Amino acid sequence: MTPRDLIAFSAGALRGHRLRSGLSLVGVAIGVASVVVLTSLGEGARLYVTGEFATLGTNLLIIFPGKTETTGMSPFITEAPHDLTLDDADAIARRVRQVRRVAPVVFGGASAQRGERRRDIGVWGATSDMLEVRKIRLRAGRYLPPGEATRGQNVCVIGAKVEQELFGAESPLGQVLRLSDERFRVIGVMAPRGTSMGVDFDEMVHVPVSRAMRMFNKTTLFRILAEVSSHEEIPAARAAVLGILKERHQGAEDVTVWTQDSVLATFSRILALLTAALAGIAAISLTVAGIGIMNVMLVSVSERTREIGLLKAVGVTGRQVVAAFLVEAAILSTAGGVTGLGVAFGATRLLRSLYPSFPAHAPAWAVAAAIGVSLAVGLLFGALPARRASRLDPIAALARR
Amino acid sequence: MAGRDFWKLAWDAVAAHPLRSALTTLGIVIGVASVILLTSLGEGTRRAIASDFLQFGTNVMAIHRGKTTTTGIPGAIAGTVRKLTIEDSEALRRVPGVERVVPVAFGSARIEAGERGRSVVVYGVTSEVPAVWKFEVGQGRFLPAGDPRREAPFAVLGPKAKRELFGEANALGERVRIGTRRFLVVGVMAPKGLMLGFDMDDTAYIPVASAQSLFNTDELVEIDLLFSPGLPPARVKAGVREALLRRHGGEEDFTVTTQTEMQDVLNRVMSVVTLAVGGIGAISLLVGSIGILTMMWISVGERTSEIGLVKAIGATPGQISRLFLLEAALLSLAGGVLGVGAGMAIGAGVAWAVPAVSLHTAPGFVVAALLVSLFVGLASGVLPARRAARLDPLEALRAE
Repeated sequence: MTPRDLIAFSAGALRGHRLRSGLSLVGVAIGVASVVVLTSLGEGARLYVTGEFATLGTNLLIIFPGKTETTGMSPFITEAPHDLTLDDADAIARRVRQVRRVAPVVFGGASAQRGERRRDIGVWGATSDMLEVRKIRLRAGRYLPPGEATRGQNVCVIGAKVEQELFGAESPLGQVLRLSDERFRVIGVMAPRGTSMGVDFDEMVHVPVSRAMRMFNKTTLFRILAEVSSHEEIPAARAAVLGILKERHQGAEDVTVWTQDSVLATFSRILALLTAALAGIAAISLTVAGIGIMNVMLVSVSERTREIGLLKAVGVTGRQVVAAFLVEAAILSTAGGVTGLGVAFGATRLLRSLYPSFPAHAPAWAVAAAIGVSLAVGLLFGALPARRASRLDPIAALARR
Repeated sequence: MAGRDFWKLAWDAVAAHPLRSALTTLGIVIGVASVILLTSLGEGTRRAIASDFLQFGTNVMAIHRGKTTTTGIPGAIAGTVRKLTIEDSEALRRVPGVERVVPVAFGSARIEAGERGRSVVVYGVTSEVPAVWKFEVGQGRFLPAGDPRREAPFAVLGPKAKRELFGEANALGERVRIGTRRFLVVGVMAPKGLMLGFDMDDTAYIPVASAQSLFNTDELVEIDLLFSPGLPPARVKAGVREALLRRHGGEEDFTVTTQTEMQDVLNRVMSVVTLAVGGIGAISLLVGSIGILTMMWISVGERTSEIGLVKAIGATPGQISRLFLLEAALLSLAGGVLGVGAGMAIGAGVAWAVPAVSLHTAPGFVVAALLVSLFVGLASGVLPARRAARLDPLEALRAE
């Protein structure tokens, strides 16, 4: 039997039972489609998070008070004995060569009032450098003026939603906003940005850091953001920052410095694990589909007993019979895999058109893996029926009715 | 056709091809087993977390600063304008029904004893913690009662912190340094383990006023309170809210959460997760049902002449159709029963091998799995059964 005969033989067998073949194919297709859709979702989530981090700014060091040893949540609960101060931020800016800009941050909630309208918002205490460090875009006016961090004026830059809710159609520039009973003049409006990393930027007001510290009656910073001049210098900058802060805090290592890369790596790891777990659960259905193929092939072998007997009688070897049935199983499962991929592509495309901000894309490896795995499923579950066919005794097979 | 003949015919059809029937059933077994296993895992996790909550009793309530209605983490915002203070917590004592109040301030700090040091979570609390949190003191006693506004140089260590700092030696009556201050160790807590992700054993407890000055703040992270068990939580909550509103100039810049509410949120989240994961597992069940459909279809084709004969001697199309439906249902229900068994057996194996995993197979899920497998069988039997019922007896008999 030439390879062409082999394929013709197998394809002919499949065509003979369209519905049966179609159903086996659908089983594999469902399995492959669900695995590919789930990995696409996972990959989309990863890309989404990566994108969010890119908008955060580039080459950032994030400095928290408190040393985290085990739990990842600690930075949010920690108020360590040695807090971060404006002087610490200043020292980093002056003494760490690799750091281009430093933005000290104080964060809190306050109620904003204008006339009769009131709204609870988030207040960032920041400096003029924040504009570059966090890549803030303005829609009108300007950002906080440069100057010494310890001396800030009562000015503020408001988010898009704050503008809309408190000022309506009026232009807010030059107007006065009361933030927890202090008067601030609005000098700028930020472009709408939406929620990034769980923080709604449009419901924020930025004020000079010293003002915010007074408002919240704090002498310490929430965190310090430092922009490093190039990606290669991040490790050196991190070490320098840790060294300076240790020296300033009487030898105690009581701060945590996150680099964007390390945070991103952690997120990616968690997401990859989650994706793998879900895809793995979905892949169980591939096993079930494989069992379905095996079952159909077994039926096919027993139906074609006489045919196989005849083939063997005219000199076809057992190995060729095995090959014929394996090809049949492989055609079935690979066709199912390709169909499943098509369905998955359609589903992710639909998802993208519904949620344009969520980049659900099947990763390239998933496509290759889907085809490969479905082929493997066919070969694996086709093996038993094929062996059974090859072991048929030609005389007995022909004698059977 | 008599009822018994009916069953016998269906069973014979299943038994005539043992391998084929076994493989068809295996598909359903795998599907049902994975659904059972995954939902048991979800339910077990929910119960484990719920029991962490439950030990507090249902008559506790927590107050956090800030008004959060959407995000799940009250207090994630570092500083609101009006803070929760010890005065607030003292005021809550006067609310009818409130029995005990614990003002809480916590943060991480370095604790040192002699040469050894360690960063732990330091809780600033009052003498009432063992009663409100249901924590037990292992050795010595808890912090002494007294005015919560006054600092006092006493500390109680979590068992892990004690072990790390003092080893097997006695810690009671020894001095430790936390931050820049010195404290006398008056007690060691009984082991508590992980709770909601926090290691409750790697901790130190000091009076709340001392913690505030250690962390250089005058506010609290939360206030926990215990109320008389007989009272409806909603009424106590209303009283607490009113008292705080009065103190905060009518502004609701705090969040009161009762134990029941926390459990409700938890239950909702966990059921969604369980359903989602179980649903993904159920894809296998769908594929398994396609397997049944395929095999039943083949079976009808093979038995064409048999069906013709049965029809020729007077069987109605309805009877033929029911026969094939019964066959499909037998296959899938067997798969369902075996699948439930396999899922529970694998679950027991996992629980034995990895004790940290909590599994609980809810009877509701088992019943649902069996019903679904029965339904799946019937649904996938419909098409083949109709094909069989519509066969023309003459044509069918001639088919051979």
